[in-house]
Amino acid sequence: MPSGLRLLVVKEIKDLLRDPKILVGIIIFPALLLPLMGAAISVSTGSTIEKAYGNLSIYVVDDDGGPLSQALLDYFGANYVEVKEVSGPPESILGGLSGGDVLLHIPAGFSSNITGGNWSEVVMYINFKDFSMVEFIKSGRVDQIISSFKSELVRHLVSEEAPGRDPNALLNPIRQDYQSVIKGEAFRVSPAALQGTVQMQTLMGPIVIMLVLILAMQIAATSIAIEKEAKTLETLLTVPVSRMSILFGKLAGSVTVALLATVANVLAFTYYIGAVLGSAGAAAGDIGQAGLKLAPAPEGYLILGLSIFGALISALAIALTLGTLAQDVRGAQSIIGIVIVPVFLPAIFLMMGDLSALPQAMQVALYLIPFTYPALASQALITGNYGMSLIGLVYMAFFTLAMLYIAAKIFSSERIMTARISFKAKKAE
Amino acid sequence: MPKAILVKDLVKEFSRRRAVDGLSLEVEEGEVFGLIGPNGAGKTTTLRVIATIIKPTSGQVTVCGKDVVREAAEVRRLISYLPEEAGAYQNLTGLEYLRFMASFYYRSEEEVEAAVEEGMRISALGERLKEKSSTYSKGMKRRLQLARALMVKPRLVILDEPTSGLDVTHAFQLRRIIKEYAERNRITVLLSSHNMLEVEKMCDRVAFINAGRVIEVGQPGGLVSKYGADTLEEAFMKVVGFA
Repeated sequence: MPSGLRLLVVKEIKDLLRDPKILVGIIIFPALLLPLMGAAISVSTGSTIEKAYGNLSIYVVDDDGGPLSQALLDYFGANYVEVKEVSGPPESILGGLSGGDVLLHIPAGFSSNITGGNWSEVVMYINFKDFSMVEFIKSGRVDQIISSFKSELVRHLVSEEAPGRDPNALLNPIRQDYQSVIKGEAFRVSPAALQGTVQMQTLMGPIVIMLVLILAMQIAATSIAIEKEAKTLETLLTVPVSRMSILFGKLAGSVTVALLATVANVLAFTYYIGAVLGSAGAAAGDIGQAGLKLAPAPEGYLILGLSIFGALISALAIALTLGTLAQDVRGAQSIIGIVIVPVFLPAIFLMMGDLSALPQAMQVALYLIPFTYPALASQALITGNYGMSLIGLVYMAFFTLAMLYIAAKIFSSERIMTARISFKAKKAE
Repeated sequence: MPKAILVKDLVKEFSRRRAVDGLSLEVEEGEVFGLIGPNGAGKTTTLRVIATIIKPTSGQVTVCGKDVVREAAEVRRLISYLPEEAGAYQNLTGLEYLRFMASFYYRSEEEVEAAVEEGMRISALGERLKEKSSTYSKGMKRRLQLARALMVKPRLVILDEPTSGLDVTHAFQLRRIIKEYAERNRITVLLSSHNMLEVEKMCDRVAFINAGRVIEVGQPGGLVSKYGADTLEEAFMKVVGFA
């Protein structure tokens, strides 16, 4: 490496890594945020379920007192739900309930209506205080038990009406079964159950990558603008070092920081996925097995790492090119503020759905954006479809070279000093 | 022997605006030469062309016989440029900054260290050089920059408003450093300033610039006498027709 370039690279790395905004913003922040979120999801999922299911009790106003209301109360007991009988109009009891408490009102005539061939109703009062997951899970559990009791009762009534026939076959002549096929292996899991686990991965990946890209772009663009404002660039342009060395020194410094950010991100993401899948794996048999099957292969992480790195270099090349055109820090920030739109777009589309479902023109537009590929790679961790991610790596390399060519052209001309893209009122010379 | 600076019919245009309009001047080796003119007269643009930052639209500019366009790399080895209100890297210490800049000019470690020693002496910042430059006052930053410009013993030092924004004490110190250094090392100094008193005291010769052209050149005392003025400022005003 020529000595001038080496000097500039060392200076850039020192200057960038000593900047608290950079150290915290793009290395420490994502490295801590993802594991913390993973741990929070893992711990809160476990404790929420434990809290909602453990020692579940309901209040019941039984104005019926008949055999079926008693059977319902017994059914709750059999499902480990403690029944606390209270009396009086339900509305007068509601004020004394805590968050998540459920009051069940069984009206008079409940048993006789049903045995007489008519319908009857029960009313569930759910007291929401902070709308937490625990409150929703509790009411869902009570609802589930009532539904289950209802099914049992219906089966009983049907068997009385049609003796000798299988009530299950009469009530449910078509049985739906799900086999979710993951990487060639079938699991008896409904897509709805699988969705929860997968979404946690597919949503978080693009969001975090997007944040890192935006931060890196801001850093690179403002680093040139800061040099312009402080006139250090003007000084540097008059010392015996080539302008290409100045450009590549900036790039190498930013790349080093970006590389550190990438390593921090991939490690954090690995931990996050482990925590999320771990909590899914602990949840139940089949969904747990499916979760384990979804665990990414090592090459998935490698491709994700390369994609993030490639996107970072592309982002830095764009940012350096635009940074050279900005007159000051505010100008650079404003330009990057506009450029981050294409950084957001792929992540949003990928979070909302499948690229292949979009109109072809839109697909092409998204594939032209280099930032689409790390988001695709984070999805490929689960799907194992690395094809587009690998094509993306080649595309990002060409894209970066093109951007660097433009930046080099600007650096080698006097536009580096005379460019006047600014969102501030112009100053007379 | 070639002139330290030779500028002939220099024109510089930005878009449709002509910042320098046929400017010519010559500066001898070892001279302290001042450019005087109002804002927008073309002083900074002229200095930037000589410092190889921007290219002339037309005309010829040489430094010690080297063309600033064709031989820009050679010119950069001969010059040291101090822009107006230049800063240093916020996250580097003053000492790191001096060493960083000296390393562009010298190959051996001994030469770099000798230049840094000189920079430390000129800046007179002592132990503060070990602190990040973001902690420096405006005067300290300017002294660091001047030390950076002078420590590499250039053939030509280009100073754009060297004392701009400084208080009387700091401005006085800086002027003294420049004058002493130029005399001791026989280097050529080209400076621009709004401060007529500064130019009068420091410069061997001055050029009055207005609307991108040199309208008068001479020794400060000679110009004052020639226009029957009491000060250089008054002489300038008479030349541009405001007095």
